[in-house]
Amino acid sequence: MLDIFDLTVRYRTSGGELEALSSISISAKKGTTLALVGESGSGKSTVALAAMGLLPQEAQIIGGTVRFDGHDLGAMSVEERRRLRGSRLGLVFQDPFSVLNPSLTIGSQVGESLIHHRGYTPREAFERAIGLLDEVGILNPKAVANAYPHELSGGMRQRAIIAGALAPEPDLLILDEPTTALDVTIEAQIIELLEQLRARRGLTMLFISHNLGVVRRVADEVAVLYAGQIIEHGATEDVLHRPMHPYAKGLLAAIPRIGSKQLRLASIPGRLPDLRKPPSGCRFAERCPFASESSTQPQTMRMVGGRGVRCANAELVESTPWPTPEATATQAPPRSEQSPVVSVRALDKTFRIGGGVTLEGWRLRRNETLLKPVDDITLDIRRGEVLGLVGESGSGKTTLGRTILRLIDPDSGEIRIGDELVSGKPQRELERMRRTAQIVFQNPDSSLNPRKTVGELLARPIRRFGLATTERMPTRVRELLDMVRLPSHYANRYPHQMSGGEKQRVGIARALATEPRFIVCDEPVSALDVSVQAAIVNLLADLRDQLGVAYLFISHDIGVVAHLSDRIAVMQHGKLVEIGDADAILNHPRHPYTIKLLSAVPRVDARSTSAGSGPPPLQ
Amino acid sequence: MTAFIARRLFFIVLVLVAVSMLVFGITALLPANVAYLILGPFAPPDQVRALEIKLGLTDPIWQQYLRWASSFLTGNLGESTLMNRPIGPMLTEAVGRSLMLTGASFVLIAVIGVGLGIVAALRHGKPLDHGVSIGTYLGIAVPEFFWAIIVILVFAAWLGWLPASGYEAPSEGLWIWLKHLIAPTITLVFGHLAHVSRLTRSSMIEVLQSPYVTAARAKGLPEHVVVLRHALRNALLPTITALALDFGRLMGGIVVVETIFAYPGLGRLIVFSIQNRDLPTLQAAILVVAAIYAAANLVADLLYARFNPKIRYGRNVS
Repeated sequence: MLDIFDLTVRYRTSGGELEALSSISISAKKGTTLALVGESGSGKSTVALAAMGLLPQEAQIIGGTVRFDGHDLGAMSVEERRRLRGSRLGLVFQDPFSVLNPSLTIGSQVGESLIHHRGYTPREAFERAIGLLDEVGILNPKAVANAYPHELSGGMRQRAIIAGALAPEPDLLILDEPTTALDVTIEAQIIELLEQLRARRGLTMLFISHNLGVVRRVADEVAVLYAGQIIEHGATEDVLHRPMHPYAKGLLAAIPRIGSKQLRLASIPGRLPDLRKPPSGCRFAERCPFASESSTQPQTMRMVGGRGVRCANAELVESTPWPTPEATATQAPPRSEQSPVVSVRALDKTFRIGGGVTLEGWRLRRNETLLKPVDDITLDIRRGEVLGLVGESGSGKTTLGRTILRLIDPDSGEIRIGDELVSGKPQRELERMRRTAQIVFQNPDSSLNPRKTVGELLARPIRRFGLATTERMPTRVRELLDMVRLPSHYANRYPHQMSGGEKQRVGIARALATEPRFIVCDEPVSALDVSVQAAIVNLLADLRDQLGVAYLFISHDIGVVAHLSDRIAVMQHGKLVEIGDADAILNHPRHPYTIKLLSAVPRVDARSTSAGSGPPPLQ
Repeated sequence: MTAFIARRLFFIVLVLVAVSMLVFGITALLPANVAYLILGPFAPPDQVRALEIKLGLTDPIWQQYLRWASSFLTGNLGESTLMNRPIGPMLTEAVGRSLMLTGASFVLIAVIGVGLGIVAALRHGKPLDHGVSIGTYLGIAVPEFFWAIIVILVFAAWLGWLPASGYEAPSEGLWIWLKHLIAPTITLVFGHLAHVSRLTRSSMIEVLQSPYVTAARAKGLPEHVVVLRHALRNALLPTITALALDFGRLMGGIVVVETIFAYPGLGRLIVFSIQNRDLPTLQAAILVVAAIYAAANLVADLLYARFNPKIRYGRNVS
């Protein structure tokens, strides 16, 4: 159905030409799902845009062909391609929050392509849209069709987008990270929906994702992209359970698994090569533990046992495990029975969301919605302990973390940090607490001042609390950088000169600068790629062991939480529904919500329910 | 929605009350009062004194204000001290003529400005975009009276197509009426295009890069549908607010333009009453300008709500 052959795409950038895709060849047979897997910068979204003929102006197709159902898309006129888009090719984007037009109703957007491709009248298209919304499992399709995007939840919007893509009955659906922005339970629903639709309509799907657990559930075949090249492709079972390319292997090893707690997560060192001047040899060689002399030669795709691998050492790689970094961390919580470092009792926080005023007779009345993101929360965190906090978006995790630190003032309840009663004190008397309790934010891009060097960023809190003299400052900054495994010359760098993982290390170093005893880690690895995430998680584990600092580790990724936490707290609608030892929560969850949450997590090691018959999975 | 309008109307009333106090206060501070103006510079002081008492000008200022304001509310705008005519009909006539001028200018500014903005955004960074930028900037950078003179030179003196100044009522013939309207309109439009076109251009460029526009393209919609239905609808939101402000600026613009073109509208009435210290007329005219300005902003807010479903007031969806 879709056949991409030898496709090369370059982007003109201010720093020179960047080769986003180098001789990509993939094909999806009718009625099957091909997954395209890769981390950020691998070029996977460029494939989607190239297939749709929607590449931005600065992109240029250097060579290769994209064929759809036998037609060469490159040979078509602009008008012919437009007619093909939307009618036979459908595209679903990553972020359901920005893909729908905020000022048009859902119904008119879902039915829109019918007007232009199938000659429906607007009225008929709207009626059909209601039917489609019903098909994708929206409960009251009529009301939703008349609603505007901001009135719907993320999951509902993604369903509506899928309905819109399906409207003209396309043969091929391209899905670019369709579930990445969604909670796990919603993600599970969307995946189920896609599977049903595929069976019912005989759809062919190109599924682009970085999430191997999701890919394992939906795909028949997998192609792994690295730095603009396909490095391995074959049947899903083969690639995910017996990877032959070192990168695929590293990627799989880096995923934290629920239920198999390791001391260390495997990680892939280094970063993507600069695609403005890609290395002449193997593009992964620099980061590859299996690199050998042959790696300096350009690697070609070769067929090994029914799949393609771009590595001369593939046979060797398949039988050798990915090296796990030495376990410096003991990963055993210092279970001291002394008083907890953080203690929260009956904490409450209510937000009032104003909705303007309405006239009631002659009296003005304020429309208010009350939102209770922190509802009667009681918990303790002991010295050197990691308490994982999981829950879906909107459950109140972040608000709880910030309320404990008094970044948000609670309505009632008691907070103790160390031996200090923090709740009820005015902000200016919280000096001591600000030193003992710190925070690491999710997005290092917005939490690090872009105009300050790393050295200045780290020196600021040290000077603020008078923890080092001006002469000692450079030494202290160096110590901090050393703690987060960054070379000391990084002190002179600005945030934009670093990769995402490095920036997050600086974020952690800044939190450590005041020598805190407790750190709230608010989704510290959610913005990072899997291979980088593993290294940060390892770092956090090491620091806990070395410094005895306690974490409230907030994440929506239950795998990461499972790996790092001693105890886990599950939050729903502002309430703690379950809290206990990590093993107990993960293996014997009691609360129905915890059970639901855990069962929704897509696991990469589970046996696929769809096609493919490989040998039993590893472990 | 009704609650919203009611609230806005209430604020408009507050604004107008404040403006009326300011206007009244400032004119009361002037050295010459109405009695002096009526009787002329050579009147004996005791006569002036007698008229002052008769007109209540010796009362405390707040009493004077209340008297003035309440007579205003009953529709009695007083008499022009200069022309000895009731202000009401005079003002209505002037406002009507000015609204013809500003209305025509406003429609043209909105249509041409938004159009140029769209074209510039679609040709972003190309010669046409630069041409539009330079042209509209030129319009806003050089004062209106300069363009007025150029327009008169070109269309009246040189080409001889249009009258250089004056006004004729529509009853004199539609073409004659229109001919007198064209020159001042061109001047006003040229001076105000940049604001609208620049704003439309920049928000259009931003919106054209948004994921939902790419999504619309991915649906295979024809380009004009993508641009007009998906992009423009959202790009217009900031422009609507700007247009309301521009309407206010137009009210200022007519003061200059009407004077140059000898167009007997509100702007000219204001200049005239300032020059001749016709205080009652000036007070009434300024209040009218403030009211028009406030009304334009209300209309903008309503349009904004119409186009932006996120603030469609008091709407309930399941």
